[in-house]
Amino acid sequence: MNPLTPRDGRNFSIFSRWMLAAILTFAVATILIDSDSIPGAAGWALTVATVVLMIVAMRSYVVFLRQADELLRKVHLEALALAFGAGIISMMGYRLCERLGAPKLDVNDASLVMLICWMLVQWHGWRRYSVEEES
Amino acid sequence: MTNRLRVLRAERRWSQADVAERLGVSRQTVNAIETGKYDPSLPLAFSIARLFELKIEEVFSPNGQP
Repeated sequence: MNPLTPRDGRNFSIFSRWMLAAILTFAVATILIDSDSIPGAAGWALTVATVVLMIVAMRSYVVFLRQADELLRKVHLEALALAFGAGIISMMGYRLCERLGAPKLDVNDASLVMLICWMLVQWHGWRRYSVEEES
Repeated sequence: MTNRLRVLRAERRWSQADVAERLGVSRQTVNAIETGKYDPSLPLAFSIARLFELKIEEVFSPNGQP
């Protein structure tokens, strides 16, 4: 059984499609720019296109959140808050570790921590409020 | 906060899905309210009371009160 209301399912599907488009464009842009396969102007155009797609995806996520069923919104907002906190803590904490001799990491690693934390907390919320079939 | 949602629903022989559809929320939300895992927002609490044609205090009460 789909736990999303039809409206939430529709909005999340719109967000997912924009996000997928943004990720694919990002991947293509990264490969082409790294391999010097495209001239500078085209590289900039592709970068702008990627950023625009990410902004559209973010906007559709905000629409999804604003219109979402209130329990679903709570789960998503908790996940965002914890992911943001985990990202900040990992960045600041690791800065100190680097000063103590730990290998240098870049900002992408903190983004990964945020993304994984966002998914884990959503999964936890999903499980916490999951429903059994009615008898 | 405690509530009588499960009892009121059973009296009308409505399923959680029926209530969810009438309220425009997910079945997960109805289930979480019934089991006390989630306290609804004030607008949703009013919608629930209106659905059962009761006053809000006849559906919801603070913890420890009947």
